[in-house]
This record gives sequence, structure tokens and C-alpha cells, in this order.
Amino acid sequence: MKKRLVYALSCSEMKWMRKLLLTGFMIMMSALTLVSAATSTSLNMQQKRVTGRVTDATTGEALPGVTVVIKGTTTGVASDPDGSYALDVPSVSAVLQFTSVGYASREVTVGQRTVIDVAMQSDVTLIEELVVIGYGFKKKRDLTGSISSISASNIEDTPVKDVLSALQGRAPGVVVTANSGAPGAGITVRVRGYSSLNSGNDPLYVVDGVPVESSAMTSLNGYDMHGLNPLADINPGDIESIEVLKDAASTAIYGSRAANGVVLITTKRGKEGKAKVSLNYFSGISEITRHLGVLNAQQWREIIIDSYANLDRYNNATTPTEPHWTAIDSLNPMNNGDVDWQSVMYRKAWQHQVDLSVQGGAEAAKYAFSTSYLDQDGIFLASNYKRITSRLNTDFKVSDKVTIGQNVSFTNGKNNRINAGGTGNLSLVQSILVRPPIYSLTYPDGSPIYYFNGKRNPVGMAEECTHLNVTNRIIGNQYLEYNILENLMFRTSLSIDFISMKEDEFYPTTVDYRAGYNWGAVRARTNMSWANENYLTYNTTIGEAHDVAAMAGFSMQDWKMETTGLDGLYFASDNIRTLNGAGTISNQAVNRTDEHSMMSFFGRLSYNYKGRYLAEANVRADGSSRFGADNRFGYFPSASAAWRFSDEAFADGLNFITDGKVRISVGQTGNEAIPNYVQGGEFAIGTNYLTFSGASPTVMPNQALKWEVTTQYNLGLDLAMFNNRVNFVADFYIKNTSDLLFAVPIPETTGFGYITRNIGDISNKGMEFALNTHNINREFQWSSSFNIGFNRNTVVDLPDEVLTNGYIKNGDYHILKEGEPIGTFYGWKFLGVYASDEDNVNQVKFGSTTGKPFIGGDPIWDDLNDDNVINDDDKQVIGDAQPIFAGGFSNDFSYKNFSLNLFLQFCYGNDIYSHLNNMRNWVFAYNNVSTDALNRWRQQGDVTDYPAPVRNDPKRNEYLRVSDRWIEDGSYMRLKNVTFSYTIPKAITSRAGISRLRAYVTGENLLTFTHYTGYDPEVNSYSGLQVGVDEGSYPQSRTVVFGLNLEF
Amino acid sequence: MKLRYLQTAIAVILLMQVTACTDILDKDPVSSFSASGFYKTTADAQAGVYGIYDAAQSVFRLNFCYWGEGRADNVQTAQTGESLTLLSNNLSNTASSADWTALYTMVSRANYAIRYIPNVYEEDDVTGIQLIGQARALRALAYFYLVRVWGDVPFITEPYTSMDQDIFIGKTDKEIILDQVEEDLKYAAENCIDRYNSNNDRIMFTRGAANGLLTHVYMWRHKYPEAVATSALIMSNTLYGLVPIADWGKMFSNSYSKESIFEVGYNDTETNGLRTLYAVGSYAIYTPSNNWKASIEKGDKREDFVYDTIPADPKAIWKYLGRGVSDEVSTPAKQNIILIRLADIMLLRAEALNKIGGTANEAEALTLLNTIRTRAGLPEFDTEDDAIAMYGDLESAILHERSVELCFEGHRWFDLVRTGKAISTMGPINGLSSEANLVWPIHQNSLNKNPNLVQNTFYQ
Repeated sequence: MKKRLVYALSCSEMKWMRKLLLTGFMIMMSALTLVSAATSTSLNMQQKRVTGRVTDATTGEALPGVTVVIKGTTTGVASDPDGSYALDVPSVSAVLQFTSVGYASREVTVGQRTVIDVAMQSDVTLIEELVVIGYGFKKKRDLTGSISSISASNIEDTPVKDVLSALQGRAPGVVVTANSGAPGAGITVRVRGYSSLNSGNDPLYVVDGVPVESSAMTSLNGYDMHGLNPLADINPGDIESIEVLKDAASTAIYGSRAANGVVLITTKRGKEGKAKVSLNYFSGISEITRHLGVLNAQQWREIIIDSYANLDRYNNATTPTEPHWTAIDSLNPMNNGDVDWQSVMYRKAWQHQVDLSVQGGAEAAKYAFSTSYLDQDGIFLASNYKRITSRLNTDFKVSDKVTIGQNVSFTNGKNNRINAGGTGNLSLVQSILVRPPIYSLTYPDGSPIYYFNGKRNPVGMAEECTHLNVTNRIIGNQYLEYNILENLMFRTSLSIDFISMKEDEFYPTTVDYRAGYNWGAVRARTNMSWANENYLTYNTTIGEAHDVAAMAGFSMQDWKMETTGLDGLYFASDNIRTLNGAGTISNQAVNRTDEHSMMSFFGRLSYNYKGRYLAEANVRADGSSRFGADNRFGYFPSASAAWRFSDEAFADGLNFITDGKVRISVGQTGNEAIPNYVQGGEFAIGTNYLTFSGASPTVMPNQALKWEVTTQYNLGLDLAMFNNRVNFVADFYIKNTSDLLFAVPIPETTGFGYITRNIGDISNKGMEFALNTHNINREFQWSSSFNIGFNRNTVVDLPDEVLTNGYIKNGDYHILKEGEPIGTFYGWKFLGVYASDEDNVNQVKFGSTTGKPFIGGDPIWDDLNDDNVINDDDKQVIGDAQPIFAGGFSNDFSYKNFSLNLFLQFCYGNDIYSHLNNMRNWVFAYNNVSTDALNRWRQQGDVTDYPAPVRNDPKRNEYLRVSDRWIEDGSYMRLKNVTFSYTIPKAITSRAGISRLRAYVTGENLLTFTHYTGYDPEVNSYSGLQVGVDEGSYPQSRTVVFGLNLEF
Repeated sequence: MKLRYLQTAIAVILLMQVTACTDILDKDPVSSFSASGFYKTTADAQAGVYGIYDAAQSVFRLNFCYWGEGRADNVQTAQTGESLTLLSNNLSNTASSADWTALYTMVSRANYAIRYIPNVYEEDDVTGIQLIGQARALRALAYFYLVRVWGDVPFITEPYTSMDQDIFIGKTDKEIILDQVEEDLKYAAENCIDRYNSNNDRIMFTRGAANGLLTHVYMWRHKYPEAVATSALIMSNTLYGLVPIADWGKMFSNSYSKESIFEVGYNDTETNGLRTLYAVGSYAIYTPSNNWKASIEKGDKREDFVYDTIPADPKAIWKYLGRGVSDEVSTPAKQNIILIRLADIMLLRAEALNKIGGTANEAEALTLLNTIRTRAGLPEFDTEDDAIAMYGDLESAILHERSVELCFEGHRWFDLVRTGKAISTMGPINGLSSEANLVWPIHQNSLNKNPNLVQNTFYQ
């Protein structure tokens, strides 16, 4: 009964809103039609003569042969060799159209002028390019919001393997971090900082109008935190452009999913004309950028013996403790090796990719077909990624008014991974760095030793274990466009995003200490999402100068996810790795279905007065199944305006300004990325009593739950100077997120641990600058592109009831605290090492007043409250993982057929917590340690900053102690990409029927400038809020690639 | 013409919206129930009650021992963790046994069942009433432990279904809570099923089990005549009988014995900590204390069933895992944890009769005690004087019998507290000296999350 009432409410609400939107839309349409009809009849019939000169905007040289036509007529002339023209025009409101091959068309309203000189922009520096926006296109010069656009030219000629890494360093305010260097691994993208605590911080990805799944791509096993790249399934070669929508004016049209920005990806479509066949191939080799120093066998034995002696000293032991025989017996063949496991495990890895695409068509039918194959070995033994993609985009003109088409892409990805993330004995990167150098790889008879003395052999881990992720994905979209009137268009589309992912894991008996113990698991997941989007667009010009455009639409989207998984133990054989071979199916069975749906209404109204005054308003109403009946619909409005001051009279004197525009916007967006069923509460099944099936309340209902709201203000400046040779864009923003969805702990007396509520505030403030310049523009050309984004993230408000000691613990290393950013590291401060027992003057003790005092060789911990006890009360903020700024600097040089691109990318001011370094500098369970340990404290009076190693660490100096000893500056600048290419002159290639043949060589990650001592400063072991932790991620590699582009 | 196109387009959109309006935004969970979508069918009601038992499994898997034995004199420990802090009376407000989360989860699930089952069944439907009876008995079980372990505690009898409810509940006087416990158990003793005629008789609440628990509650509250009345109902219940001494060990290792009145069920996948607590050789959390071993009378046939007497340092309590078990690995255990059994109720009855006094009562008390003694192969006390000669008074003789018969079953500490002997017994061992110290501290996490909660006086 209650449910029915709820349902009736939401339904009537929808009806009401629908009526309102439709009525508004109809009134608007009729008004526009009337006005345009009225104005078009009142033509002003006053003829006059206009003269002028046409020049090249860049060089200033005269342009002959430019067609000058009165718009809407066939009256026109061509310019003289000196660029001048003369023409009779019928009225002051007439518009002159200037067109010439290789130049962008220009339109000029005659007005009272009789002399009109025009500078034509060559296509290369075309400012009037179209930019994809939510539900439509817009001229770049008419934008009122903040959008960064990356075009195909930045992607297609370099061996980029995935879409997201193509974004890195290209757009200000967009921080892209590869979570690891493994092929196909997850990439963290943050647009203007972190705006959520418990919901997602990932932007919304929209491919050809289809909002695609990105959250689904986490790895299926629980312990690998890296995730997989959600857009690895898209062939970068297919991409026409990527737009990153950043401010609320641009994103609000995507409403409750847009708080973290929106990334629009548009794929290439067929163009009219002869078929264009392109064949691209590249092949390359990667290797690790550096090796980390580890102790050799002799040094290792010394430190182990040292650590036992130190333990005896701590315990005042009278009889010395003996290390395990393997540590001291250097003659036994099992442990007389001297191995740097890095040289065993890392390799030079090959990669190849081949792309074939065919594009073309006639007026009635256009097509773009592509297929690609990537085979990429990882630099880590036995890791490999293979991807096949195939795409067909078609457009058919059914009649004058109707166009239909479809985009279909299929991807098959096989990711043969190694377990490089996570912790403990399973992380390969960690385990090769801490594995004792003495362990032999093989028995004297040559057979491999995969498990010895409590440690797995990493070679065995890589080669014997299975860790295979296979993904199949189809993204399809069918559309119909109906030009109802010349300026009224209706578009409807139906799209699907289908992902099927399967993950197989197997750990054979050979890598386990338990006899006959092997373990395997299979996990499968399918995600199916469909969306239907419908919208009407209307454009009109009222009285020549007032351009008005309107758009209104409706969409529905539905998601379903099914997860199935089983673990098995005691397989009959290590060779049969499917679960039918398991002796026991263990208790980890999973089978679950989740659903989620949305229904939305949206509209946009834009106004443009002569391109000088621009205004736009957007609104979206989103209904989500995730929210309570009281708050099912959210309304997300935005408004923006821009003023092209360069068109004002006062700007006439400022000749160096080609174009100048100020933009301002404000708006609200939301975040609905919370679990599917929290609002209605949840009864979980499976709380069984023996064999009796039970069910229990596990989630407390909260009908008042709603989306997070982000209010964003943006002030922007677009400036083109010196005939477009200098382009400058600046944006300043404030982004406040409130009503954060937060799982608030509640008293357990309720029967529940926490309840999800809307509580707390976060703010992001920042500046973004982009500067594009054509420095030299002759036969030798040099152009540069620089961008930088500053962001300051602050947790403004947290509910008191969730705070313990004034903060919330965020994973093992971070806290969330009012006034501090997300990514704040919290722990003890390391001040040095006691040179001798006497140096601990105050007899500072470990843990409590009755604890043992610190002695010579122990670290000096900052005793924050001066109570001479080092305990939890002495923890403090020790670092911040978020960068102060990040950006990129690209330089293109070309001379005749040679071209060179240098791309630098940088990130400054972020700290990294290297848990890996902690693990590498702690004598535990005979682990190997870093060569830093050679400077260790050895005897009373030693002045050093490396503490004495103590077996099993009784004072917890390293074990579980989060300290700034492991925090390092993560700033870096790297030569991300260098590409040198040569295009063979057309005169030669055309004889072979080849229209373009380009050969190039590219170096990736050739140089990195950083103080970070780990493998690479670009590291992010966890994909969530636990930013900037290095758990021993798969390292980034240095790659050299040779490639060919061929076009027929 | 124009208008017609527009109308067509709008009609298309409208049509889509109308079809959409049906129910696209109503997504109830597929692999679970929404809070309002559950308790709709009789199967839901049954599953909801099993869910309470599931919570009970979590409550007792380790804590039956920490609470019932951990602070008393029958065990010793070689470990330094929680077992040592309890035994040495250095209770910490971060100890796992100070955490009542699992008990309140049990209360919450029971509150849901008690509130919503009536919606599923007709008012006088027997099955529905039986289910409510079980839910109320389980809630009583949870509150009985809460009161015995922490004293005054938050008292909640309604399910939480909305944020409008007060979630920050302070403490309620323990006597008020125990009144409700009695009321719940009386309801259960009247309305639960009499018997299932299956193993369920031991692991689910029946009328007998409710009476058994009620007897415990009355003894805790020193309501002796009431305890005599309820125990009489159990003594006359043909569902229960003492097992012969040869099968004494099987009560624990095989579970589901005739003597069992209520035990929490476990199996291969729903396991407990019995092995970790008692049986993993020298690594076990607890081994029998020397005092307790010394207190066993010569010729007691139970001794051999309880622990490994052969080695110099008795390694394992093998009462639960079975005689002869020699584990060195702490894999979980699957034996049921017996909370109430006939011998236990008989000895409680003896105690109650002795407290009431009078020749007839004392004679019956002695008979009950002798029944348990003779089964163990020990000589009868011919007269009360024999018992007094050996143990000082009849009550002490009964208590000693409970300490041996029910050893390591989680009764000892509560027996000591209930009879006012906790301080005199434990004082010499660990310095226990304050009545206020008899309860546990409230866990720090609970205090952090609830501003209306005050730490128990002794631990402030």
C-alpha cells in the first residue's frame, strides 16, 4: 500500500513536469516562428556600393580569387589579384559571404559601412571550429562555458594506446594519473579536483552521445585495487575529438551525473567522396626506467645478523638469538644464490599495433569502418594485453528530411595480468624487491623452486599463476534525425553498452607451502545498459542580428549488472584450471544482480547578438531509482553569458587583439554515484542458520536521501591576438559541493553500522590557463601549446558525529579533516635517529608510560604533546597527495616534410606515501631491504638518519607506523612524448597510388625529472580517495616506437 | 503543415514518456529485499527469524567463553591478548568482548520480526505466534547477556526504519530491561512450539527452552520460587533426560543430545571459535586452571572427557572437540555451543530449593545434586552434613558441582556474580574488589558514536 502511494506521487510529479516543459517549449517555438516570419517580410530596400580588400589574416598578404557573395542570393564577385573587390548591396542588413579554398568562410553584415576589409583565416588556424557539446554542436567562438577540446590531430599520429592517456597534459584542470604501468590498467581522471567523499569522483564519459559505463571496470577480484581502464575498449585511432566539459554551464545538461565533469568522445564518421583507406602500424619496445637498489647476498646476511643482535640488545637477552639457518648458511645450494630479482623479472617488452580504416561515401550513404589489433607485452614477465577492436559508423540519407545511422563498436580485450598491486606475499613488485637475494631459482637438479622458506618465488608467481581478464564489449547506437522544418530538427537514438567480463585466477600447488593445495576462482560479470535519448533543436535568426537556438529533450537509461563468482580449492591437477576440477567449492560463491535506472528531461536556450553578446541557459531534471521517493527528481539549472569585447568600438584601437571574449557562468550539477539500494533499505539474504535460509536487515532505509549538489562559478577569458598567432584562454572557478553522500556511523544499538546521509561540504577553487602560439610561421614552422591548472581542494565541513579525534580515517594512510584536502596523510613525524642511548634525555617511551624507552639506533619520533610517550596522540598531518598544479607543454616543429613534436608533462606539489619504501626498509621475515640500509646505525654514537634494523620491530618503528619517513615529494616533469616524423613527398608516393606515407619514431617517458626515489612518481595504487600511495605498482616504462601511416 | 509535424514529434515524445512512467524508476533490489519489500510472505517471516539465530551464532562464537569464563577461576591463559586482560582484571574499553554490536544486531533483527510478523499472519495463526515467540525469546536472550555483561544498557524494542527515530539512546535501568526479558520469555514459554520432533528441538526455541532461559533469569534475579516453578516444567518435559556418563562427552562433540535444552547451532561453514579457545595444543587461548583441576574429586569420570590429563602441562580442553583431539592448527570448529541443558537446570533448581529452605526443599536439592554426582561416578552425599563437611554448605557444594559439570560452558563467571562470590573468589587471584567492576566497560567505539552513552562508573 505504501509503495503504491509513493509510486503515484512520483508519477504525478513527472506528469506535471512534462506538461510544464512541453507547454514552455511550444510557446517558445510559436513565438520564435511568429517573430521570424514578421521580421523577414520587413526588408529594407536601400542599395549601396561596398568596396574592400581581402587579405590573409596570418601573413597580411592580398588574397586574390576570393568569392564575395551577398548571402541568400547569387549576386557576387571574385577579388582581384591585389585582393580588392566592389559590389552593390541591396540593404544595410545584407550579409557578405567571403569564401576561398583553404580559408575559413567569413560573413560580414554590411551595416552603414561602405568599405569592408576582410582578413581570412587559413584553415590551419581555424577558430570557427565546431565543438561537441551535450546534445549538439557549437561554434567554438560562441562558447559561453569552459570546455577543453582535444582533436584527432593530437592523437592519431602518435602511438597512443588508449583514450585517457591521450588526455594527459592536454587540458588544463584535468589531472590524469596512470594507476600503474601495466598494459590496460586503470587511469584516474580528475576534472577540477575531488568533489565527493563516498560517491565517485570519475567524470561521466559519453561516447557519440552514449553515456558509457566507467565504474564497472574495476577488477573482479577483491584485492587488486588498480582497476581497469574503462575506455581501453575504444581504439584511439577512431577518435575525431575529445571534449572535456568543466564548468557547470557546459555540464549541467548532464545533471545528476555531471559534478565531476563530462568527457565527450566523438568518433570519426564517413565523409562524402572517394574512399580513403588508411593503414597504420607501429611496433615498439619498452623497458623499465630504473632499477631500485637492493642489498646483495653478503650485505643481506650482515643486516639479518645485525637485526638479531639489535633484538637481543632490546630485550637485554643474555644468550644470543640465532637466525634461521638459511640466513647464515652461505654454502647450502638452496640459499647460496645472489640474485637481483629485478633483473630476473623485468624484461624488454615488445608491442605492435595495426589499424586499418576505410572512410567514404556518397550523399545518400556514408561510412567509416575501422579495425585494429594491439599486442602489448608488459615489462613484467608474463604480462600481456591483446585487444581487437572493430567499428562501423554509417549515415544514410533516407529522404530530404530524414537521416538515419548507426555506430557499432566491438572490442575484445585479453589482459594477462600479474598481481602487482595489493599487499603481502601476493604483490609481485613488492615481493621481488623484498625477496632475499640468496634464494636459488632452482634445485641442484635444475627444477624450479617456487616456494621456499615462507616465500613464493616471483618467477613462479608470474609464470605459474593465472590471472586472466577477458572483456568483450559492444557499444551500439542507432539514430534518426528528422528535419521537420529547415531550422527545426528532431533526433532520437537508442543505444546499448554491453560488457561481458570474465576473470580466471589460479594459484597452483607449486607456489604454495601446503601440500596439494591449489586455489582457483572464476568471476564473471555482465553489464547491460540501454539508453533512449530524444530531442528537438530549433534555430532561428530574428531581425538579422539575434540568433536564437533552443533544444528540449527527454531521455531514459537503465543499467543491469549481474555478477557470478566461485572459488575452488584442491584441484585434482594444476593443469585443469577450470572449476570442474576443484575438489572443494569454497564458501565464496557470489551471484548477484543489481539494477539502476534514470529518466531525465532537459532543455537549453541560447541567444547570440551578432556574436557579441552571448547567453545560454540549461536545465536538466533527473529522476533516479537510487533516491528516495521524497527526492526522486533533481533539478540542475545553469546560466552563462559571454561578451565579445573585441567587437566593441573601443577595441578598434587595440589592433593586436583579433578576438576577445569574457565568459561567466554559474550552475548546479549533481552526483548520484551511490550504491543502488541504500534509500529503500535492504534485507540481505544468506544470513542463514545452519541449513535454514535466513534474511536480515542490513541497510537502514533513508527515504530523504538525495544526490550531492555541486554549485560552480566560472569566469573565463578567451583572447586571440596578433592575427590568431597567439591564443590565450584563462578560467577561474569555485566549485562547492554540498549534501555529500556519506555513510555516517550510527550507534550499533540501532542494529546498523552506518546510514547513508547527505552531509558535509567540499570546495575546489582553481585557475586554468592555456596558451597556444604560432611562434614561427614560414617554411620552418614552430608552434607551442602550454597549459596549466591550479586547484586547491578543501574539506569544508564534516558532520561531528562521524569524527573521531576530529577526523575520519580514510584507509590506512589518510584522513579526512575539516580545512584539509582529500589526500591528507596522517601519521608520525620522523626527526632522526638517536645516536646513543643517552641521547634520549627525556626517556621517551614506546606506547605507554610503562613502555620501553627508545635507545640508540631507534628513530626519534616527534612527541607532539610532550608527554614523553609515543602513541596515537602524536600523530599529525604529514603530507598532501594533491598537486598544486599540473599541466603540459607541447612544441611542434616542422620543416618541409619533417616534423618534430616534443611533449612535456608536469605535476607539482604532491606528496607520495611510499608504502613500498616502508616494506623495503624493514627487516621482517628475512625480507631484503634497500641499499639505503648501508647507512644504518650500527653502534653507539653513529650519527645517521637510518635507524638500526631490529628483528620483528618490537617498538613498531616501521611496522604499521605511518610516518613521514615514507613520504616523498611526488613532483615531476617528464618528456612524455617525442615524435620525429617524415612524410614522403606526394610527388613520389602518388606514383604508387599512395596519397600519404609518413614514417615516425616516438619515444615515450624518455626523461623524467623528479626527486621521487621509487620507480616512477606517476603512481596511484588505489583508485578511490586514497590518493598518492605507492604500494608497489607496476612501474611505468620507457618506450621507443617506430610507426608508419599509409593512406590511399 | 508545420504544426502537424510539431504535433507528431511531440506525440512521439509524449508516448515515450507515458510508457516510461510505468515503473522505470522503481527499482527494488533483485538479489535482496528492500526494507519495505520484506515481511510480505510467511516464508519471509520464517527467514527473518532464522536471521536472528544467525546473529546469535556471531554473538556466541567466541564471546560465550570470554563473558562466561574469561574473568573466572576455571581457566588460565598463556597468551597476552584479551584473555590475559580479562583474567588479570585489566579490562580494556577496546577489547572485543566489550563490544556489544553483535548482541544489538540480534536485538534489531528480533525487533523487526516482532514488529512485522503480525502483518503476515492472521492474528491467531499458530505458526505466526510461534515465530513471534521465538523472536521474543531470542531478544530476551540478547538482553539477558547485555544486562549481565554491562549492567544498565540502551533498551530498544522497536525496529529502526526511519531517520526520524531517536538513534542516540541512553541507558535504561537493568531491572526494567529484565522485566521485559521475563515478559518475553513468558510469552515464548506459552506460545512457542512444544517440540519439533527433530534436532531443531535443541537449536531453536521451544517452550522448554524458553522455560530454561527463564529459570536462569529468575536465578539471576534471586526469584527462587519462580525458578522452582519453571524448572519443574522442564523436569517433567519428556523432551529432556540426562545422558549416561558414557555419552557425556558426546553431548558436546556430537551435539543434539537428549540433555540439551538450547544450544546455538554451528556446522562446517558456519563455524565458531571452540578450537581456538580450547583445543589447539599449547596455542589455545585457555587451558584449565590449576585450582580448577585440583578441585575435581578423585574418581570423577567426567575429568577424562574434559581435558588431556596425561601430559604434565595439560595442553588441550577437548570437551568440545572430542576426547583425544590433538590439533595444532586453528581451523574453526563446528560443534554447537550449549547454553542451557538439563543438568544445568537441575542444579539451578537445587540451588533455588536450598535458598528457599525447609526440610523437604533441602532434601530435594540434595537428591538433585546426588543425581548429577552419581552420574559422574562420585559417591552420593547421604545427608546435607556430608556436603557441608566437604564444601562448607550445600550451596557451595552445588556451585562446585556446577563448576565441574558445566566447566568451560560459559556459566562460571555468571554463577559467581549471581551468588555474590565473584569478589571473594577472584579477589585473591587478580585483586577484584569492587562491585562496580563486575560489569564490562562499554566499548570506546560505542561511546564515540553515541553522545548520550556514559561509560560504566568503574571505567570512567
